[in-house]
Amino acid sequence: MIQFKDVDLVYPNGTVGLKNVNLTINDGEFVVVVGLSGAGKSTLIRSINRLVTPTSGELLVDNEDILKYRGSDLRKLRTKTGMIFQNYNLVKRSSVIKNVLAGRLGHTGTLRSIFNAYKKEDVGLAYESLKRVNIAEKIYNRADELSGGQQQRVSIARVLTQQPKYILADEPVASLDPPTSHQVMTYLRKINKEDNLTTIVNLHFIDMAMEYADRIIGMRAGEVVFDGPVSEVTEKTFEEIYGRSIREDDLRGGADQS
Amino acid sequence: MEKEFTLPPKPKNSTFKLIRNIVITVLVIALYVWTFTSIDIDWGRAIERAANNFQRVIPQLFSPDWSATGKVALSMLETVFIAFAGSLMAAILAVPLAFLAARNMMGGVIISTIGKWILSAVRAFPDIILAILFVVAVGPNAFAGVLAIAIGSTGMLGKMFAEILEGIDMNVVEAMEASGANKIQILFHGVLPQITPEFLSYAIYRFEVDIRASSILGIVGAGGIGTLIIFASNNRNWSEMGTILLAIILVVTVIDFASARIRRKIV
Repeated sequence: MIQFKDVDLVYPNGTVGLKNVNLTINDGEFVVVVGLSGAGKSTLIRSINRLVTPTSGELLVDNEDILKYRGSDLRKLRTKTGMIFQNYNLVKRSSVIKNVLAGRLGHTGTLRSIFNAYKKEDVGLAYESLKRVNIAEKIYNRADELSGGQQQRVSIARVLTQQPKYILADEPVASLDPPTSHQVMTYLRKINKEDNLTTIVNLHFIDMAMEYADRIIGMRAGEVVFDGPVSEVTEKTFEEIYGRSIREDDLRGGADQS
Repeated sequence: MEKEFTLPPKPKNSTFKLIRNIVITVLVIALYVWTFTSIDIDWGRAIERAANNFQRVIPQLFSPDWSATGKVALSMLETVFIAFAGSLMAAILAVPLAFLAARNMMGGVIISTIGKWILSAVRAFPDIILAILFVVAVGPNAFAGVLAIAIGSTGMLGKMFAEILEGIDMNVVEAMEASGANKIQILFHGVLPQITPEFLSYAIYRFEVDIRASSILGIVGAGGIGTLIIFASNNRNWSEMGTILLAIILVVTVIDFASARIRRKIV
């Protein structure tokens, strides 16, 4: 369970990232965070694994305040929160399997990892993860030989290999075309259901949020301005979150092609 | 049929820019004229000497003394060894300095500035000056040459390596941080795979440059083929000089070619 209690975050240059955020995210939920760019979606997600640090309030992950974490506490927190990025962030010159095994680094001793001596069951787990996102045949290809959608699937496999409790996805489909976007979201949704992994996804496409989310959180200027199950959400809700009327480019489209 | 069109008018150069360009041109020409007139060349004498010596020296250079081949080959081999040992040492020394100097590695502008200062200071010495220093320090032998090449190359390689480090994809580093990897793991799995091919490529390129540099180090007594060059020149033995030049040209060409091929393969 993740709880935000009166969380504020002000960046050193004075920009307000988060303003008085109060949220509870329960285990197993599939939450989509929507909002315009600069609304604080990334900041919200990155606070949970402390890539950024809120300046006040309390942030509880599994009932422990993570804002005081440093060093090994922080690394332990990060091993249980897997992250997926907009630009996949794979080591382009390394093979797919090496990239996927990197998800295991947090669970592997330093000396072992220097010599690439991953445990046998870790290698098995990595291969299993690749199979789950249907890309096992690319195991020995270099990461930069794959298409964007394939690279994002490899990065999902990397997160699966990490065996986290939470998945944080920061605009995972923003660099992909509509059919591939739906494929990636479908995998995330499937993993959420099969492994009961709490998943928080940042999106700015309204139609995709509606299609995949259990619950939608709307943000504007660092504040949570909407929080509710997807059944309560209408076009009017989005207009309120975005503070303007809905436009063509707020939609990803292509749902029928997936 | 071609379509008629008009481009929007070009922005006019301001008078300030025009005057500035004229001033710069005039200054450059003046500087050039001034330097040339003040170095005081006796053109008449230079041309006369060149004409006399041309007849004597050039034909001999083109009829190499084959009996010296063995001696020259050995000495050329020593030159290659000096270059290799020196650049290898430099490639190793440059790595920690590069990590120090790269802004995105050790964190902190202060450390990186200190690292950059060290590298500039090392780069400031020409190879030949370093060779003279090391000949005094360790005696007139090949080891002095190796040290001169090593220190001389460390500065340049360190700067290149630091620039490569500053150009890596830091998102990969962030992704590994986000998965709970520690600093050493990030170094080995996130940073090294990104930099190794470029590092090797520059080290090999530097070896190529060092072959040329170490050919002349013998002139100050630091071993290698330069020793033979200075002897041949003192003895006016131009046909042996021809053999030496041939050896240098051959080896440099072969190594340039090989290095280009290897570097294309690894990057």
